[in-house]
Amino acid sequence: MSFIEVNNICKTFKVAQRKSGFKEAIKSFFKREYKYVKAIENISFSIEKGEIVGYIGPNGAGKSTTIKILSGILTPDSGTCKVNGIVPWKERKKYVKSIGVVFGQRSQLWWDIPAMDTFDLLKDVYDIEEEKYQKIKNELIKMLDIEDIVTIPVRQLSLGQRMRCEIVASLLHEPKILFLDEPTIGLDAVSKKIVRDFIKKINKEKKVTIILTTHDMADIEALAKRIVLIGKGKVLYDGSLLKLKNKYDTNKKIKIITNDKLTIKKKGVLSSKKIADGYEFVIDCKTLNVSDFLNIVTKNISIKDIEIDNESIDDIIVDLYKEYEI
Amino acid sequence: MKVYLKAISLHFKSAIEYRASFVTAFLSQIVVFFSYYFVILSLFNKFDNIKGFTLYEVLLCFAVIHFGYSFCEVFARGIDRFDKLIINGDFDRLLLRPKNVLLQVLCSDFDPIKLARFIQSLIVLVVALLNLNIEWTILKVLCLLFMLISSIVIFFSIFVISACYCFITIQGLEIRNLLMDGGKYMAQYPIGIFKKGFVIFFTVIIPYGLVNYYPLLYFTGKSNNILYMLAPIFVFLYLIPSIWLFNKGMKKYSSTGS
Repeated sequence: MSFIEVNNICKTFKVAQRKSGFKEAIKSFFKREYKYVKAIENISFSIEKGEIVGYIGPNGAGKSTTIKILSGILTPDSGTCKVNGIVPWKERKKYVKSIGVVFGQRSQLWWDIPAMDTFDLLKDVYDIEEEKYQKIKNELIKMLDIEDIVTIPVRQLSLGQRMRCEIVASLLHEPKILFLDEPTIGLDAVSKKIVRDFIKKINKEKKVTIILTTHDMADIEALAKRIVLIGKGKVLYDGSLLKLKNKYDTNKKIKIITNDKLTIKKKGVLSSKKIADGYEFVIDCKTLNVSDFLNIVTKNISIKDIEIDNESIDDIIVDLYKEYEI
Repeated sequence: MKVYLKAISLHFKSAIEYRASFVTAFLSQIVVFFSYYFVILSLFNKFDNIKGFTLYEVLLCFAVIHFGYSFCEVFARGIDRFDKLIINGDFDRLLLRPKNVLLQVLCSDFDPIKLARFIQSLIVLVVALLNLNIEWTILKVLCLLFMLISSIVIFFSIFVISACYCFITIQGLEIRNLLMDGGKYMAQYPIGIFKKGFVIFFTVIIPYGLVNYYPLLYFTGKSNNILYMLAPIFVFLYLIPSIWLFNKGMKKYSSTGS
């Protein structure tokens, strides 16, 4: 049996709805109309110990709902879920000791006081022994390079600094599983890199199982070998990132810098576009390979410069979303 | 308990980060409280008793109610503002911690500014006691203690019950005003001075009467009924349905947003 086992979980929310306008607002005050929204429907997957899984999908796909069920905050309407042999929402106190959760858009740090004070409070919340606590805390602080900022009131920290403190706070009790809900949202390039490197490191050194939701595909590329894609509450793809790439990543973007005029009409050229100092083509390598394409081009004009790009993972995801109509 | 004390000390630290606003808020609380107090004083300027209750007896009643209320406002602020916790989604975070949820709600907020009210209610209490000619016995000391503790218990229970509404509606219904502010205002006076319907309501439905009125009768020697002295103990029963409701509500909880 796998470390995390999710079977056919469903969750429906009751949502009040009304039309816009003052009159409607008054009306809804007295009588509400409700709509039932299926947040997730028959979601199943399993995750082994020590894996990093990227959990992706467009906004409103049900990512947060799944995370909330897995972390024991919500009870699903149906289906079963077992993590490390425990049903999350049934033995809450015992279960939450083994997990850490970072919500990128929500802070667990106390706003007006230094992060260090929050850490000290968490020590008591999780009943961590003093000696062990000091050791883990110092180790984490050093790894994330935040020695100087844990003594400054949190409200004065930058987002990147705060996120690093946030991560330390979630790992003080040495959880076996870490849920990261958009951990790099709004961070600059340097902070993103620090956070990613750190996640990789704790996964490797401490064998922490990590479930990561994000909209930043660079996160996924850097961290997760496996992705689970969901849309409209259903699992659409579950497998390795590489496979997905090979399947979809057959388009290449070619930029040609030239002063001459150029029109190419051939099977395999998906699009062509005039740009400031030349042209941009997207070709499908399955029907037209790059060298053939270049041959045609060089026959007709003189090239100043040329640039060839793979389609980015973002484009692949957009294609995927399109394919599944989500 | 250790967690609670530590959380409270952190809240205190946060509050005094903003020194000026802390001081002004503290002072304004003193003014508000004394406005209540002066209503009673001016009332007794005209009449020297209300249905047989003297000024200091009424003040004792008043002090007991405000003692419990301000105590809860300071130390159970988290429950009082539970709707906020639900709306901004911080309640999710509490569910991720391996401690009792109600305890954590208690830890989530603390209002040192309302300490001003608490201290004043103590002062009024002492003034009332000094001016009442009480023949002190052990039972009377106990009686007074029961009154004070049960006052805390009743407001705590009402806080919890009104918090439960947030589970159902995700918005704090003004139910607490009905239960608390109105009732509290009446219970500042010995409820015996009101019509019978009120007396029954405040004895059985929301037992403010058990907190100050009945024990007051015993305390001031107006009655020798030992049951009156023990009346505050029954207030503890009020905790059972309120905590039960809270746990029931927690199971129904459906979280908000992402």
